[in-house]
Amino acid sequence: MQFKDYYQILGVARDATADDIKKAFRKLARKYHPDISKEPDAELRMQEVNEANAVLSDPEKRAAYDQLGRGYQPGQDFRPPPDWDAGFEFSGQAYPPDEAAGFSDFFSELFGHMGGARAGTRYAHAGFRAHGEDHHAKVLLDLEDAFSGATRQISLRMPKVDAQGRVRLETRTLNVKIPRGVRTGQVIRLAGQGAPGTGGAPAGDLLLEVQFKPHPHFRAEGRDLHRTLPVAPWEAALGAVVSVDLPHGSVKVRIPEGAQSGKQLRVRGHGIPGQPPGDLLLDIRVVLPPANTPKARELYETMARDLAFDPRAQERT
Amino acid sequence: MQDDDVLIGCLMEESWLTLEQVAAACSVEPGWLIRHIEEGLFPHAESVAGTWRFSGASLLRARRMRQLERDFDAVPELAALMADLLEEMDTLRAQRGRDGR
Repeated sequence: MQFKDYYQILGVARDATADDIKKAFRKLARKYHPDISKEPDAELRMQEVNEANAVLSDPEKRAAYDQLGRGYQPGQDFRPPPDWDAGFEFSGQAYPPDEAAGFSDFFSELFGHMGGARAGTRYAHAGFRAHGEDHHAKVLLDLEDAFSGATRQISLRMPKVDAQGRVRLETRTLNVKIPRGVRTGQVIRLAGQGAPGTGGAPAGDLLLEVQFKPHPHFRAEGRDLHRTLPVAPWEAALGAVVSVDLPHGSVKVRIPEGAQSGKQLRVRGHGIPGQPPGDLLLDIRVVLPPANTPKARELYETMARDLAFDPRAQERT
Repeated sequence: MQDDDVLIGCLMEESWLTLEQVAAACSVEPGWLIRHIEEGLFPHAESVAGTWRFSGASLLRARRMRQLERDFDAVPELAALMADLLEEMDTLRAQRGRDGR
């Protein structure tokens, strides 16, 4: 395990005041805010900054860290001596388990046991029977999963309290049956897969918030499915029946005579399955064949001569 | 549980999250959430027959507001304003993604 220099991470001196630490933390919290930061590793840096702040903003943890870390350099191999924390009284943690899940092994080793019993069951007291907390995680699914109701393997990093009361990060792999018809923003509830309860009370639930990965052809809006439908000029002008591939099969669609780019066709009931199912919305895009052969050029020249078509005529009226 | 066990979950409608579920999943006290609702800072909550119900988007909003209040000592009104702006930004980013820009 490598030693982490929390002072260096926040960019403050070892004798920095609580106010200096707060200022430095806020400056970095703004810089690496996951919603606005353009830094490529913003999320990782923010976790590191949160971790450093969790220790240095807490006088008890900071004192223990200062005593323990004397003489260590960042990155140096580090093992805490047994009972190093004797004589310190720690009063809990400012960061909830979901955020602390991103903290390093170094942090878990030193401070993981603090408030450890609280990490899983917030309302736990001796002799008290408490339902375990619900956990929440976001899962990225393929759009196809909403059609097929497939079983997907999902890995989650979760804090877990070990026999010594320390909080360890554990990767849990779950095989989850994705309900057919699931939509972005919906929540799949897995009963009993949250934090364990205390005093024999049932465990909490795991709430998985669904989001779809970007799809090369489709995008989902609620239950409706959108895609662009490229059509040839003669299909648009004369009307045609074309086959459109769907995430799960295909459907034949009639293009009305005189269709134009930018028009939208609605095919009822062919969106994401459900009661009722969503619709398929096709944005028509007329694609011109290239004039790269003598025959193609001749056809375009014939049209130019015989059709007397001015696409800008409306602009002039 | 065996590694190859398949968990079958139930699908919750967006508005089906309870106050306790949102509070627990976002590591906030239920009282914190109620105070914010009562002050009009949490528009994703709706009251049906005296019971609060929450959309899936509530989870992200609660986390954002909690972090803003903690990290910057933001007053709840300012955290709510920031959350409103971030949600607006999410919508515009999604729109931009749809338009392929």
